[in-house]
Amino acid sequence: MILLLAAASFLLPLWLSSANLTVYILLGLYAVTAIGLSLLMGLAGQVSLGQAVFFAIGAYTAAVLSLHGLSTVVALVLAPLLAAAVAAVVGVPILRLRGHHLAFATLAFQLIVLSVITNTPFLGGGLGFTAVPGLGIGKATLSSSLGYAWLTWGLTVVVMVVTLNLIRSRPGRALRALATSEAAAESVGVPVVRYKLAVFALSAAYAGVAGGIYVFFIGYASPGSFPVELSVELVVMVVIFGLGSVWGALFGAAGISVLMQVLNQVGTLHGMPQYMPTLLSYAAYGLILVVIVMFLPAGVLPGLRRLWARRPGGREDPMSRQIAPPIASLRSLLRSTRPKTTRADGTPSPEQTRRQ
Amino acid sequence: MSPEDVTRGPAARPPATESPVGPSGVVPLLRTEDLARSFGGVFAVAEVSMSVARGEMRGVIGANGAGKSTLFNLISGHLTPNRGTISYGGKRIEHLAPHERARLRISIVFQTARLFAGMTVLENVMMGAHVWSRHGFFEAALRLPRHRKEEREIRSKAEEALERVGMTPWAATEAESLPLGQQRSLQVARVLCSKPALLLLDEPASGLRAEEKESLAGLLEQLKAEGLTMMLIEHDVGFVSGLADTVTVLDLGRVIAEGPPDEVTQDPAVIAAYIGEGRGRAQRH
Repeated sequence: MILLLAAASFLLPLWLSSANLTVYILLGLYAVTAIGLSLLMGLAGQVSLGQAVFFAIGAYTAAVLSLHGLSTVVALVLAPLLAAAVAAVVGVPILRLRGHHLAFATLAFQLIVLSVITNTPFLGGGLGFTAVPGLGIGKATLSSSLGYAWLTWGLTVVVMVVTLNLIRSRPGRALRALATSEAAAESVGVPVVRYKLAVFALSAAYAGVAGGIYVFFIGYASPGSFPVELSVELVVMVVIFGLGSVWGALFGAAGISVLMQVLNQVGTLHGMPQYMPTLLSYAAYGLILVVIVMFLPAGVLPGLRRLWARRPGGREDPMSRQIAPPIASLRSLLRSTRPKTTRADGTPSPEQTRRQ
Repeated sequence: MSPEDVTRGPAARPPATESPVGPSGVVPLLRTEDLARSFGGVFAVAEVSMSVARGEMRGVIGANGAGKSTLFNLISGHLTPNRGTISYGGKRIEHLAPHERARLRISIVFQTARLFAGMTVLENVMMGAHVWSRHGFFEAALRLPRHRKEEREIRSKAEEALERVGMTPWAATEAESLPLGQQRSLQVARVLCSKPALLLLDEPASGLRAEEKESLAGLLEQLKAEGLTMMLIEHDVGFVSGLADTVTVLDLGRVIAEGPPDEVTQDPAVIAAYIGEGRGRAQRH
């Protein structure tokens, strides 16, 4: 399956027009970021509504370092490392939070970082950097979009393989375990705090390397390139086909990217008001999130699998009924206006409160 | 308990002067010294000093609220003591986090099943292997040799543990969907997979049907024969008496009796604590 995808993703760019090739590259970069977010949210149950901040950190690291004369390849290697380091430091306080609180803390962190960038001349301020050099070693630079497409999708395949390996392993199981109960995970010997930091840093590294490639490809970075909207888009990509699934994140990134292109074309049709593209994209995000959370909490793929299993003689996979903690938490948030629900799933259980 | 007991916080620890050698001259596996833990000023465990020898099966009995589960949570690290010490294999462990104590192979079976929802029975058991396997994110991501070797070991050890509790047919079932008795067996399988050195069992037989109880007793008998050190909390005095070498009786957070099961169950103070329930307490101490 992976080999097939690898072959297809390497051949496809040869037939794409240059505009579509750009979409294709961005799609790959979002897919890498979304896979990291899916690992964080779906597997380890930690919500991030500010994942785009690590994309931005990666992009800025690559831009600043290469503009100061460092080799672009070295800059691209440092981009995910710095993103991961920032996540590991920020994670110490904020990963103590759970559910909605963690979601808002990550969102706030992104806003803070964007505001710091806007007000720091060294980081280009509000206008950002232009003329970021292309990726390359010495004089040999990656000038064509085709090169970026191959680089991006090579990275995507590597990230998918690595993530799938991780899920089916001792640390992967430990992450799933701590997502359901941190206390129980601790009692079987999982260092919960360290594991949460590690997965947060890893997801940040994925976003960071994608951000690095992004800035070399686009050649431009400003605070406006990494809005909160991008974080929301990533969350939608991750939840739509099933949280915690690597393939789900890939298809989610593809589906949402294509949908946004279509909406953008509709929104910019002659006679449409200027705010139409933004309006349409926000409406689509909102609609998709609500529908998924309320009606397909396990995501579209598991939902379909369940329908398929319900055919006469079918056998239901118990895992397809599983709802990841972040979705359960959002569900309770959406339903909390109803009088009967008193307690959100995201609140700490009594034993956790006691241990604090 | 005096008011000054209440005001002594966790910082007030006695100096580490104790010798690891118990009264009998052999190094006990576990030893608690003047252990205390209060909740809102009320001591659930007031002053518990006890030692458990290697290979021993220790029964812990007492009425509701005697402090049995609190004692276990202090040993496993889920609670920190207000004062007192816990030594394990001669080393002080009361400052260690639960996951660090789990790594020392102190395994606990909780009264209420703490299973990992969304994972299969086999995966739940495999979690037990976390304490003795070592490979991390990096090795797993790249499928390095140690990862492959350990994953094989983890799987075979987990399958073996499932076999021992007779749950092999349910390996692929989702853990949460099991009935209570099987959830308990699953927890036992998980701790077996962790290769424990000290096994804490908090009322493992409660809520089990007669034949389930019997097979649990049989399994514990086997583990004892293999030399595993165990502590067993149980309400069913008959169940404990049949298994334990020594029984410790707790009442209001204090040890009121300790000895062979048939002696202890004849002790007037113990009978009073079980039957007198509250009325005879003032006279006893």
